[in-house]
Amino acid sequence: MDALLQSLIQGVLLGGLYALIGIGMSLIFGIVKLTNLAHGDFLILASYISYSVVAATGMNPFVSLIVVIPVMFAIGYIVQNTMLNRVISKGAEPPLLVTFGISIVIQNLLLYYYTADARNLRSPIATKSIIITDGIRIPYIYLIGFLVGIIVIVALGFYFRHTYQGKAIKAAADDREVAQLMGVNIKSIYGIAMGISMTTAAIAGVLVGMIYNFYPTSGSAYLVIAFAVVVIGGMGSTYGTLAAGILFGLAQVMGAHFFGASAQLLTGYVVLLIMLIFRPQGLFQR
Amino acid sequence: MSEILLRAEDIYANYGDFQAVQGASFEIRKGEIISIIGTNGAGKSTLMKAIGGTLAPKSGKVFYKDTEITGMPTHKLVDLGMSQVPEGGRVFARMTVMDNLVMGSYTPRARKHKDNALERVYDLFPVLKEKANQVSGSLSGGQRQMVAIGRALMSEPELVCFDEISLGLAPTVIKDIYTKIRQINKEGMTIILVEQDVKRSLKTSDRSYVMLKGKVVLSGKSSELAEEDVKKAYFGL
Amino acid sequence: MKTGFLSDSKRLIKALIMVIVLVGLFVLPNVANQYTTMLVMLICMYIGLGQMWNLLAGYAGLVSLGQQLYIGIGGYALAVLSNYYNIPILIGLVVGGLVSVGLSVALSFLLLRMKGMYFAVATWITAEAFIVIFAGWTYMGSGNGLFIKAVRGMPTSTIYYYSLIVAILTIFIVVFLLRSKLGLGLIAIRDNDSAAETSGVTIFRTKLYCMMISSFLTSIIGGLFYMSQVWVQPYAAFAINWTIAGMFIVVIGGIGTVAGPILGAVIYVILNQYLSQFGGISMIILGVIAIVVILFAPKGIIGSLQNRFGFEILSARRDANKNFMGMQIQETSENTEQ
Repeated sequence: MDALLQSLIQGVLLGGLYALIGIGMSLIFGIVKLTNLAHGDFLILASYISYSVVAATGMNPFVSLIVVIPVMFAIGYIVQNTMLNRVISKGAEPPLLVTFGISIVIQNLLLYYYTADARNLRSPIATKSIIITDGIRIPYIYLIGFLVGIIVIVALGFYFRHTYQGKAIKAAADDREVAQLMGVNIKSIYGIAMGISMTTAAIAGVLVGMIYNFYPTSGSAYLVIAFAVVVIGGMGSTYGTLAAGILFGLAQVMGAHFFGASAQLLTGYVVLLIMLIFRPQGLFQR
Repeated sequence: MSEILLRAEDIYANYGDFQAVQGASFEIRKGEIISIIGTNGAGKSTLMKAIGGTLAPKSGKVFYKDTEITGMPTHKLVDLGMSQVPEGGRVFARMTVMDNLVMGSYTPRARKHKDNALERVYDLFPVLKEKANQVSGSLSGGQRQMVAIGRALMSEPELVCFDEISLGLAPTVIKDIYTKIRQINKEGMTIILVEQDVKRSLKTSDRSYVMLKGKVVLSGKSSELAEEDVKKAYFGL
Repeated sequence: MKTGFLSDSKRLIKALIMVIVLVGLFVLPNVANQYTTMLVMLICMYIGLGQMWNLLAGYAGLVSLGQQLYIGIGGYALAVLSNYYNIPILIGLVVGGLVSVGLSVALSFLLLRMKGMYFAVATWITAEAFIVIFAGWTYMGSGNGLFIKAVRGMPTSTIYYYSLIVAILTIFIVVFLLRSKLGLGLIAIRDNDSAAETSGVTIFRTKLYCMMISSFLTSIIGGLFYMSQVWVQPYAAFAINWTIAGMFIVVIGGIGTVAGPILGAVIYVILNQYLSQFGGISMIILGVIAIVVILFAPKGIIGSLQNRFGFEILSARRDANKNFMGMQIQETSENTEQ
């Protein structure tokens, strides 16, 4: 019983992190109508940048975000403006292929500079837990991941509702041409949207690096999570993404609980495939 | 006579592979209402796009208060004081009425006067105040058109282009909206009407340009143009 | 359209070149060294891989990221049938192909409901799921995979000839398909998925046939590849790198062209061999080249050349002078269409 409860708690907490992993991809899908197949690789890129910053300065991985976020924002803005904006109007395949190309380049750049060795961003907090009973303990790092995920999503909701820029992004998602008539510089606003997406990837990347080992090729696994969260939550829906993250986290952890640890990955794949087949519009959209 | 606000000289523009505008010129003075009349495919919408920055003209020049603005991106034109009401009452359907209007004051210049502008739009269309927090996608066609007009006024423009404003609306609604357009003009706004409706255009505007196959085939004071002549030019008879 | 003496002589020259190239390819293992033979063998395999990805992505509007599924099935079928049942290699290849066809049909009913990136991601996830399944399947040798005993010591030239035949076969099949009734469905798909004159059933059937053909031949290429590798292992056999290669080949050469994947495969294999001396950066350079080509020449090398000079090297159009590879081809069954 304790084991099940422990799994449930872990699944929910993991879900907050999953939502954070997926939210950036969801934003870009909703706003730019682009499937960023390199989202997971960008996330891992952020983990590695944090790794380098931590190695160079000895600061806490969390503090490294003051460097990682601006760098990732800039990367997102530049990639969108120099590459993706050129192809988004050219049908479905070219943007897909470009992001896929970016994914390959990032993976191999990481492989080249950091080798294939496992890395992590462990800090002392990683091993500490809140002990509730003998069988149930909540690892701090999972709790932090969950809370940060929620904070980021709520902050994004605020940004879209209460700032001119956030509204402009939403307007561009609704009707790109009319948003232009309002004085919105569409190319720049897409760049900013990608920058925000990369900001969420940066935060997720640092958290993921504090919990798990990462490799240059880890991005694919996070792309699956991001994609699952986006598909379950419905494209472009902020709070749907949060609910979807929790559902997907629970599904994976329950898969592992009942069928063994090796089933965690497979459960995720199967849930995603079932969603893609039967409800590609997401659980929360009519 | 007052100064020329916008002048388009010998504009050529393609819409896809189709040469939609083939040497069209017109001008508008401060405080005027002009109408650009033509059938579907006469090139009037493409002409507006070429002037409004969403489509780069192939050749020709556009001046706004003696500044050349040819091919300038839309967001810069909005900042200069040009505003557009897009065809078919296109609103941001998933955003509220209020947010739609607020988006109209996106440019830094307009943001400062946002609250004033909002008051004026609500005075003009009281129904929008009632529905301020409603999602615009749920409004009727006429109300959407009001949102689109109100939104265009939010940028504190000097010049507003109305693209096919009466398309798909009921006659009584069209009449209301035209009354508002005249009211806006009386408050000092310069207006370009792009229309298919000959009678209403002539009645509302000071001067008219009739387009056919991408060219201006007839122009003059609306009060002096005979409806018969305009209709002939309009259909190319 | 040009006809008469000039185009006749052009046609003759084209045919002559084609014959010389083919003869050259068939005698190659007897005159060239082992390394060259192996290189051309790889080019042949990648031509097939590229043609089959192109059939889906370039013609049927199905950007698949899961072709590696059939590569893996082809390799594993060969290993299982020859190791456990002593079935001859060639039969193993064909059986692997048939298993793949069965799998693709089953998957088509689920996957063809999706479009664009949903389809892309679903194919990829399916292949990823197979890695997990095969890596945990003792019968399949788990994570270590299987050693294909029967192909040990098989001469490169044998695999070379199989690969050459398969490459030629894929080219012929694509050209034939495009000129057949199926080609009409493909044109409808390319122009607009919901074209009024083409029913949903026709479109589904067209896509299904393309999936079946593509899975069969991709699986055979997988089998051939593992004949030369001798060892099939889940993480490599079902790796997305296969699709990356196919995509690179098609994008560089020219998506939606028949000649594109041929040129792309030559470039890919030679570039790969050349870049391998630089170690890790080879994939980076390949990725950058692919991105640059999509951004600046989205039609690829062949597509851009065709645009500039207005000719097709390997014409797949039904009405293009009615010639194919310089040979006169009889138009058949023109009246069977509605």
